[in-house]
Amino acid sequence: MLLSLVSVMAFIGIWYFFTAVLKVVPSNTLPDPVKVFTSFIKKFYTENPDGATLLEHTAASLQVALTGYFYALVIGIPLGIMMAWNKYVDRFVRPLFDLLKPIPGVAWIPLMIVIFGLGIASKAAVVFFSAVVPCVLNSYTGIKQTRDVHIWVARTFGATNPQKLFTIAIPTALPHILTGVRVALGAAWVAIVAAELLGATRGLGFMIQQSRGIYRTDIIIVGMLAIGICGGILTTILTFIANALLKGRR
Amino acid sequence: MYAIISIVSFLILWAIGVHYSEIKIVMPGPWEVIKEFVDSFINPVGRHTMPLHILYSLMRVVPAYLVGSVFGIVLGILMGWFRPVNSIFRPIYELIRPIPPIAWIPISIVWFGIGEGSKWFLIFLAAFVPVTLNSISGAKSVDPLLIKCGQMLGASKKYIFKSIVLPFSVPYIFSGLQVGLAGSWATVVAAEMIRSTEGVGWIIISSMDTNDVTQSLVGIMGIGIVGFLLATIMRKVEDKLCAWTRREV
Repeated sequence: MLLSLVSVMAFIGIWYFFTAVLKVVPSNTLPDPVKVFTSFIKKFYTENPDGATLLEHTAASLQVALTGYFYALVIGIPLGIMMAWNKYVDRFVRPLFDLLKPIPGVAWIPLMIVIFGLGIASKAAVVFFSAVVPCVLNSYTGIKQTRDVHIWVARTFGATNPQKLFTIAIPTALPHILTGVRVALGAAWVAIVAAELLGATRGLGFMIQQSRGIYRTDIIIVGMLAIGICGGILTTILTFIANALLKGRR
Repeated sequence: MYAIISIVSFLILWAIGVHYSEIKIVMPGPWEVIKEFVDSFINPVGRHTMPLHILYSLMRVVPAYLVGSVFGIVLGILMGWFRPVNSIFRPIYELIRPIPPIAWIPISIVWFGIGEGSKWFLIFLAAFVPVTLNSISGAKSVDPLLIKCGQMLGASKKYIFKSIVLPFSVPYIFSGLQVGLAGSWATVVAAEMIRSTEGVGWIIISSMDTNDVTQSLVGIMGIGIVGFLLATIMRKVEDKLCAWTRREV
């Protein structure tokens, strides 16, 4: 703990030393930490230079990310469960899924603009493509890990197929599914930066993009920090919820 | 067999969807895309043919991926095994970890220019982050019983590290390498967004400028197929090298 603190201090210290004291690099290449920090605070109440405060940008990004994320959950989890439960669905969907999986969200941008236009729908679609993969994969693994013995017991007692699925397989898979939900949130949040490269007027990705145009490296770093911090907070909240849901199951 | 049925029926659905709806104004049918894709192997898209574009992208991905992996494995193992190293690097790593490679684009341009350097930097990050994470968890989850056995039999710290911790972490490292490879390959599009005149990512980026949906679908196909092949190769390598551990999943 102490070492961590010292390490962070040392990191910031070295950063400060090289930028503010020695001036090895010009400040528009790498601004010193004090400047980044003041820009960060200032960005909470000033709209310069990109037309919105930090909180407004964050809210805009969250809206896009959560919309895409929501669809990814609603479609991805049942799809993963179905693939693991029914071998025909698996055989049918898996090849397609394997081919679409390695395609990054960014690559869909041109196509999504053409199909959905420049509004929130196309951005949410890009987020969707990034977030749906971990949902499907984790639900699939979770269901596959159901113990055969449990299924046999259920069969002995004459459980129907849906009963087996809903009372045995899904509860078994729940921890895995929730991991997928968490990973997907990370992926969704990461994808917004890509999504906002396409004609956004608000959002953290947009802010970074704008600051790059006017060489405000401090705002770029503020944006990156904000993305990192928000991602961290969102993941923590979800971990908290997941732990509450799984109480006594581990 | 099922794979073929599945893909063919997807293509048919696509063809029907495009044919009978208004979307055909902007969206090409599957046959056009496939034709264009095959065609791109003979006639150049932009300056090069498809195999060359793929080669250019691989030349960006592979070196940066290798460097990122080596850094990630070394740092991850050290962080997982030696507590002081962990406490020194953990906070900085945690700060960098959630920032997506694509968010680094502006700053990597400022730092490394618009040449290959900034592209390598982005891909390096995409590989480095997951590999480190998995290496940490690999070194952390070594069975304490094995270590105690080693200690009881009089193994030195160095020996324990070399012959218990390292081999134990290998499967974890490999799953990190797998994720890292997928991530690096996905990042090539972002990297080639910086400025490029060739590469699979370029095919997609430039199609955005010319509004050529067919071309961007051809690029997507290229990325998907190469990504799929890379993942398959990696899995085969893993099966060969880690034959002693059959990981579930």
